[in-house]
Amino acid sequence: MTTAALTAGLERVPDQLGYLVISEDGVLASAGELENDEQTAGVMMQMVRTASRFVLSGSADVPFKRMSVILDDFVYTVTVSAQKVFVVKRQQNQREPINV
Amino acid sequence: MGCCYSSEDKPTEEEEEHLIPPSNIVCKPNGTDWPTPSVPSARTDEQALLTSILTKTAQNIIDVSAADQHMMEPHEYMDRARQYSTKLAVLGSNLPPKKALTLPSLTTQPHQVLASDLVPYSDVQQVSKIAAYAYSAISQIKVDAKEELVVQFAIP
Repeated sequence: MTTAALTAGLERVPDQLGYLVISEDGVLASAGELENDEQTAGVMMQMVRTASRFVLSGSADVPFKRMSVILDDFVYTVTVSAQKVFVVKRQQNQREPINV
Repeated sequence: MGCCYSSEDKPTEEEEEHLIPPSNIVCKPNGTDWPTPSVPSARTDEQALLTSILTKTAQNIIDVSAADQHMMEPHEYMDRARQYSTKLAVLGSNLPPKKALTLPSLTTQPHQVLASDLVPYSDVQQVSKIAAYAYSAISQIKVDAKEELVVQFAIP
């Protein structure tokens, strides 16, 4: 898959503010608010590595499909496919539900 | 507080043998004196027991300070160092190479997975609440001291 093919789909993610495509060697592509953000890339790589080492009892598969780092105003959604880590920064629209 | 021979537990090992033969003990209601052995050979028994305890201890404990300190010739030292390093090299090569930590593939559709709905706020709230409960519970784990840790044997 060419880099363009990888990033085209990420551009279309709703509410996206930026993205990163990271491999074992380093950042393959970056855009938006995550452009050239090597620090966030490093942190996300470490988090995903740690999370992928969790093994739920009774299951040999990796226990998750997507990792979300939820902050006040935005969310980092992270997943891994074909030895590459995809990080998309998305707008967090959900607020405290208003009880009418 | 006298000392009476208890028939409940009969120790079989040497160390637990009474130093004074139990058949000679007379129970005193205000036992402040140790009962004196009527058999003179009890002294030698005591000696023998003490020696046996000593030899057992000597066998089990390694006294580092008393060990011989033989000086090694420098060439002897170099020879040994070389011996050990060659041995290590042989064993080291037999070890399987360290498995590289590869990231497991989580999905074949990264774009779909990343574009799908975010985690609902209610779920996040619930997980936060559960985590807070767990934290509170863990922080309440403490040692409940019931008794004194160190006690004195009541020796009359």
